[in-house]
Amino acid sequence: MSEGRSGVSEQAADILAALGGVANIIEIEPCTTRLRSEVHDTTVVDVKALRAAGAHGVMISGHVVQVVMGPNVDTLATDLEELL
Amino acid sequence: MGRSVLKYVRVRDYLRSLVTHELSAGDTIPSERLLCEQFGVSRMTVRQAVDALVVEGLLDREQGRGTFVAPTKVDLEVRLASFGEEMQRRGMEPSSKVLAAEVVAATPDIADALDILPGERVFYLHRVRFADGEPMAIEQSWLSCQLVPGFFDGALPDSIYGELRRRGLELDWGEDTVSATEVDAQDAELLGVPAGRAVLRLARRTFAGETACVYSRSTYRADRYVLWVPLRAPKRPLTPRAGRTSSELTAEPATTEVVG
Repeated sequence: MSEGRSGVSEQAADILAALGGVANIIEIEPCTTRLRSEVHDTTVVDVKALRAAGAHGVMISGHVVQVVMGPNVDTLATDLEELL
Repeated sequence: MGRSVLKYVRVRDYLRSLVTHELSAGDTIPSERLLCEQFGVSRMTVRQAVDALVVEGLLDREQGRGTFVAPTKVDLEVRLASFGEEMQRRGMEPSSKVLAAEVVAATPDIADALDILPGERVFYLHRVRFADGEPMAIEQSWLSCQLVPGFFDGALPDSIYGELRRRGLELDWGEDTVSATEVDAQDAELLGVPAGRAVLRLARRTFAGETACVYSRSTYRADRYVLWVPLRAPKRPLTPRAGRTSSELTAEPATTEVVG
């Protein structure tokens, strides 16, 4: 399953899906320990799925979803860029 | 009104520069009369300026003796070092007074911060932290009993971070949430400051890789600490590629082919 994605992590795919998929993303910014995402609709964001994908916390405020991931956000962002 | 506010700001900022760049801790500041003459302002304006710096903690006013330059504030760098390590790095002798060391059930907020379930057992440590014998901060810490069994067996660890490292947990990242409040009567007594003084509150989650190791809440005296935060420009945000149709966009991301 992973070989078809050229090393793009399953984690990145799971996080993107939990954020409501590509269609829901306005932008995603890696911020030291957090992925700071601006989304069209926060009601479709699946907090449980984000936690299951390794998030240590999820803060939602307005259209912004902050996902606490740790210092691997930069690697994750590189993977997310491939998926967007 | 506008003019006198500006005058007051000029005197205050002049004094601030004097205190931080020309005088040393314990020095007296120029007399009110001298400042009145120098800036062509009233005694009341000078007093307002001095009061502001007393409140800020840059000056100490001692009844009947005068106004002196206060000790330099410690710059509280948001980094993953413990209070003891930070104080030692600055050549100050850290010590602690333990107020509580017990095993308790995690409340939902503590459980959330430690990535465990509410009701799970946690070690709880409540300490006053001193530097060179002076109370500087109050620290409450919680650690999962399952993660660090026997943490309180024998002598209490001097350093939580030190003990975690001894157990092979490489603490490598965390997050601080900082707020400013007035200190309540009990904490004021522990810190040796009048109730109602400003304090910095830090809530910290400390991780070793994917493992949440410690949650702590600290209260630092605002008259002895400033917060130092390094900044950098935000990373370029990622945006969905233009020109993709909505049917493409809703395709399951897990099946996306990546070339190169």
